[in-house]
Amino acid sequence: MILEIKNASFGYGKNTILDNISLTAEKGDLIAILGPNGAGKTTLIRCMLGFLKWTKGESMLDGENINSISARKLWSVVSYVPQAKSFTSAATVLETVLLGRISTLSMFSQPKQKDIDICMQRLSELGISHLAEKRCNEISGGELQMVLICRAIVSDPQVIVLDEPESNLDFKNQLIVLNTLSELSKSGVTCIFNTHYPEHALRLSNKALLLKKRDGYIFGETSKVVTEENIEKAFGVKAVIASVETKESTLRSITALRLSDNEEDPISPDEERLAIISIIASDYSKGELINDYLHEAGKYLIGRMGMPYRKDKVNIINVTLKAPYSEIESLVTRLCTLDGVSVKATYAKKEGSF
Amino acid sequence: MKKNKAGNLSPVAVIILVLLPIVIAVVALSIGRISYPVSDIVKAVASKLGGESVSQQLEVVVWNIRLPRVLLALLAGAGLSAAGVAFQSLFANPLATPDTLGVASGTSFGAALAILMGFSLVGVQLTALVLGIVAVSVTWLCASGKGKALSMVVLSGIMIGSLFNSLVSLVKFTADTESQLPAITYWLMGSLSGAGYDSLALGAPPIIAGIFVLFLLRWKLNVLPLSDDEAKSMGVNIKALRIVTVLCATVITASCVSMCGQVGWVGLLIPHICRMAFGTNHRAVLPASISLGSAFMVVVDTIARSVSAAEIPISILTAIIGAPFFIVLMRKRGGFRI
Repeated sequence: MILEIKNASFGYGKNTILDNISLTAEKGDLIAILGPNGAGKTTLIRCMLGFLKWTKGESMLDGENINSISARKLWSVVSYVPQAKSFTSAATVLETVLLGRISTLSMFSQPKQKDIDICMQRLSELGISHLAEKRCNEISGGELQMVLICRAIVSDPQVIVLDEPESNLDFKNQLIVLNTLSELSKSGVTCIFNTHYPEHALRLSNKALLLKKRDGYIFGETSKVVTEENIEKAFGVKAVIASVETKESTLRSITALRLSDNEEDPISPDEERLAIISIIASDYSKGELINDYLHEAGKYLIGRMGMPYRKDKVNIINVTLKAPYSEIESLVTRLCTLDGVSVKATYAKKEGSF
Repeated sequence: MKKNKAGNLSPVAVIILVLLPIVIAVVALSIGRISYPVSDIVKAVASKLGGESVSQQLEVVVWNIRLPRVLLALLAGAGLSAAGVAFQSLFANPLATPDTLGVASGTSFGAALAILMGFSLVGVQLTALVLGIVAVSVTWLCASGKGKALSMVVLSGIMIGSLFNSLVSLVKFTADTESQLPAITYWLMGSLSGAGYDSLALGAPPIIAGIFVLFLLRWKLNVLPLSDDEAKSMGVNIKALRIVTVLCATVITASCVSMCGQVGWVGLLIPHICRMAFGTNHRAVLPASISLGSAFMVVVDTIARSVSAAEIPISILTAIIGAPFFIVLMRKRGGFRI
């Protein structure tokens, strides 16, 4: 099943929000849609699914215009998960999930025991079967999000579209939702989701669509789309992508440094600055990694001093360097992500500043 | 007993809900100016179905006087409750009543106008029915302008409702104070005393048809309170579902009001009680409302016609009996949400 958007545009009156967007989602793709507030992420999803009509272009499912497919046929292969915060029903979890079966049943029919069994099975697969009899307005946000995802998958769809599935959730619940998406896509379901977090796109999606702040967009492989440069263009934020090593894998994290076009901030990223970076490493074994990072910035180094302080079992390193501001900040951020390493940069005052 | 899965009614509840209105109706048939034991009522019914004949007085009282009235009470109670459930679900608002779209006001205006013109009883009923449907159509048209939000439908419903209410006042103002004005006033207070087989023949089919369609759609009614996108993504033609729901609820309400005047409260009270007792799932709430609504109405009407020599207008009683009962229940159960 291939879901496509072909040269589509949308706007209200003369105000164009989405301009000439194309996207292809193939079986098993996990696509993240990124962009700042107001860039039109939700609008993109609503247009893609036919809730809003494109002013130009079209959405296609296996080559057929989505608006010409009958509602029941369309929604038996495609599912939509709305933002959990707008959901206020007092129905029980099982009743809510059962509604997901409507597209598989005829107009006047009632759900059968078979439908209930399928829903219970899906609930337990997602690890939330204990919630079945609870009311939706009495469970937590994370649980509700899982319920809405469950409702979307009980019809065995081939495409799932989710609107900010992990916003408003805590760390753990975000991970649960993200892992669920990963597993769905591994089982061959195409997942498309909106997110505020570029990090989540890097973490699990194979393709990403980045809507830029003013106009235009980038679509492609996630690693090529979610880059420091593109993030600055889209969000107007200077950010650093660093790797965090864990025992199982290497994850990439994104740290926002500052607003890139903040006029009150006199520092330009390319301005050469003199700075001392002070490092305290409580873990000797990190020494080599620290050295690697410093080596990468070798051409900027002016001086370097390192010594172990055995009484407290720490290594103290001081480096002086003259480098573009952004390079210094990026080095500091990368060092910060290491376990047991404390870092601080001290900048030399500029002429005329106090 | 284990709670039934997915909010459906348990078999025991189904049996109780089916038997309740029937038992109450039989008891109501035995109560009145002349009391009969319940066994006589059963005999009278049996005689019509080919059993041994009963005294002519019993036959006339049961078949010609009380039965049409009890039937009307059953239908009106069931209909108004079902319409209330439908409107509350449609607007995702527990305060919605069968009159939210101005049906009852339109119907009342029709009746008042017909009484002013001196129409026959059936003529009054027909005029009322037609104007009720006209009022909702006008409401729907007013709301179909720019935006098309459901809140606009509610707002124009309130507008059209008050418009027709003032038209009713206008009719009352011009009516003859000796004969027409009391007739209009009593009609507006609601009474089932006009019940007869001819008026039932006109009013019952729309009510039964409306209830039947809503009953078939009862599971889908759960989709109505969801947001537009969400409802669409369930694979439901939400527009068609809304129109069918409004149509059924309107036809039911207009028919009920055209037969027995403005009976307030039932459409609000019964659905609320059922939601508190059975949860929010319309698979349970709708059948329960139909059953309890009809039973409640028969009880109230029996009291209305038997406590005093003069009949008490029914809308007075629904509130006097309903309000305290509702408040007790609400305090106990802490209300509900849709």
